Amino acid sequence: MIRYRPAADVGVIVHDDAVYVARLPHGPIVVLAGTAAVVWRAACGEGEGTVADRTAGSVDLDSSAIAEAVDGFVADLVARGLLVRAQDVAVAAPSERDPREFAP
Amino acid sequence: MLAEVVERIPPGVRLEMSRAGVQVIADRVGARLLHIKGSMTDPVLLGPRFEGTDVDVMVDPAGIPSLHRALVAAGWQVYSAFRNNSSFEHAQTYFHPDWGYLDVHRRFPGIGIADDRAFEVLWTDRAEVRAAGLPCAVPALTAQAVLLTLNAARAGGMGDTAARVWDALDGPARRDCLALVERLDAAVAFAAAHGDLERYAHRREYLLWKVASRGGTRTEDWLGRVRASRTLRDRIGLVLRAPLVNTERLTHKLGRRPRPAEIVREFLTRSAQGAREVTRAAGDRFRQGPAPTEGAAAHSSAARSSPTDPRRQKRGEA
Repeated sequence: MIRYRPAADVGVIVHDDAVYVARLPHGPIVVLAGTAAVVWRAACGEGEGTVADRTAGSVDLDSSAIAEAVDGFVADLVARGLLVRAQDVAVAAPSERDPREFAP
Repeated sequence: MLAEVVERIPPGVRLEMSRAGVQVIADRVGARLLHIKGSMTDPVLLGPRFEGTDVDVMVDPAGIPSLHRALVAAGWQVYSAFRNNSSFEHAQTYFHPDWGYLDVHRRFPGIGIADDRAFEVLWTDRAEVRAAGLPCAVPALTAQAVLLTLNAARAGGMGDTAARVWDALDGPARRDCLALVERLDAAVAFAAAHGDLERYAHRREYLLWKVASRGGTRTEDWLGRVRASRTLRDRIGLVLRAPLVNTERLTHKLGRRPRPAEIVREFLTRSAQGAREVTRAAGDRFRQGPAPTEGAAAHSSAARSSPTDPRRQKRGEA
């Protein structure tokens, strides 16, 4: 299973059908609507297979038909610093830990 | 596949993202802050639709300098400094063209104990909520109830806010609320929010809260500030500053930096207005005869107002 999660200091808001994400504190806010929101959810969500597999289940398309576009889009989100591979986070140095691990 | 362009980001989304951004900035410089008011308010107290329009944070006073530097480095500009923001000089407002307004509170109006002690009291019992998925500290429910009530006191009660907050608390929570009011030395403002200020007519903060909760002239406001000051030095400083022009406010009013002549004109206008208010007040006193004693004034005003002290209300359980 290939899974992603928001990178450290990335804010994520799900509002109506759109997903709003931003590298904080500077932004900008990136709006993921329609299929883009579906891919984001599939990338960060639970489930077996690839991101394209999970996306295909939501848009009623064959996984192989959308795999290239989905992988390209996810790679773009990673390049923008919005997403990281979930297992990458697990081995990150302490200083790079996700600050969401909040301990009051 | 590209992110689709949405013409307008919903204000609530922008506000929440702004709040999370401020939290990130604070985390990076180690400044402790509590998110207060607006959407960070527990819906138990004011309902789920209470969204707010700007970000409000209460900051550990020791962390304010580093937070200020970090905010400025991130593109936030000071819109209104502590000194010019209100009679209580409690918050500094920042503006960011992308993120909107931010109020950094160094104290909360109505709390009488020292700013650092007050922050520690609130911080110790903090709770956690999330903004844009990022963890943010907020005051505990009881503390939120106290802060909302104190905030309502400054705006003529903000409708029925104080009563709604009180009604939302059960018996033990009301007792905790009143205990916290005592601990924070916030009884005067708390009473003002509940329409029971006259019980505290003997306190030095009385006039300040009378003006804040019911309105008054600029001169009364300054007089209230002077009376409420703890030290002679503070009082002298306020008296000397009274006629000075708030150039930040004038800048916002004009939409540009004021010219020297405009500052002079504003100075003369303020001085003349202050003189008129003092003359009018003296005239009123002369026509009414000797001023009633504080106790008598308190008694007559109290008789006019409804007895809304939560401790005496029928619905009060504490």
